Amino acid sequence: MEPMMSRNYATSRLFPALLKPRDVSANLFPMDGLHATPEGFCCNSGLKPSSAASIEQRSGETGIDDLALVAAVLRKDRKATAEFVNLYTDAVYSFIRRRLNPRQDLVDDLVQDVFIAAWESLGGFRGSSSLRSWLLGIARHKIEDYYRRLLQEAGPLDAALAEILPDTRLGVEAVVDRERMERHARKILNEMPQHYSVALLWRYWERRSAREVAQATGRTEKAVERLLARAREQFRGRWKNA
Amino acid sequence: MREKFKAPTRLKSKIYSALIARQSRDGSLLDLGATKGSGRKLCVFEELVQIAPVGESVKSLNFCHVCHARVLGERIENAPVFWPGCPYAQFQNR
Repeated sequence: MEPMMSRNYATSRLFPALLKPRDVSANLFPMDGLHATPEGFCCNSGLKPSSAASIEQRSGETGIDDLALVAAVLRKDRKATAEFVNLYTDAVYSFIRRRLNPRQDLVDDLVQDVFIAAWESLGGFRGSSSLRSWLLGIARHKIEDYYRRLLQEAGPLDAALAEILPDTRLGVEAVVDRERMERHARKILNEMPQHYSVALLWRYWERRSAREVAQATGRTEKAVERLLARAREQFRGRWKNA
Repeated sequence: MREKFKAPTRLKSKIYSALIARQSRDGSLLDLGATKGSGRKLCVFEELVQIAPVGESVKSLNFCHVCHARVLGERIENAPVFWPGCPYAQFQNR
């Protein structure tokens, strides 16, 4: 039986960046093979070779030709539209649900928005990436919009609290079951005020810098750093008390 | 590639209905003969319309909008819709 590990160690494993606020190299969550680019998100270049290969393999296995499918959908072939929905809804749903974890009630609406937006810009699909990647790129933008709106609506910050950051040195005691700890971390994120959890997710899951968040939300970089500091502090407190 | 979560079948049904509604709002859908000609299967109602002596414009209407399968598919998870060629039956996780 695996020895149990303290929650403090689990925190250090799962959220090292919370313990070292300046350390941005933490690999907190899987990125589904996607990455941010200056132009936006999500293209084949963001997929691991194995992921891209598996998509190609899948396309080959099922005889799916993205361009042919897109052309049929654009011709308003109802059965092709059904195939389009049936093939890609699971991927988009899964992608959004994992990122919108505290607000699962919004997932359905966002998934629908993605497909409506996809239909509106489907004529621009050139097949340079797979249709799946293209759709996930739209999904990623929708999530970003959601984060941005939330942070823009967040209340004023208390700068004094941001200064109080407890000692973050935690010791290693044993090996941890990562999935169990991740569930615990998600539970805490769910319980936190939404703008805090969103700030942490955007910063540490999506790996956006404070400057990028600031630019996206119209706040100053300092204000975003304070928001993150408060969010980290609250996360740490809840983790210790849980 | 296996997804971690499967989308609810109701959601797929709603998305399909929304897309088809938008497509038909922007102009008529591809007629049933051309749809069948492209190798895709029609449902039993669409087959009937397709062979009926009606104008081509009728064959481009959005029949799903008035179909009970749409109503069931959008409201019931894994709705009891079994028509071959019906998109709402295709979305069910069985």
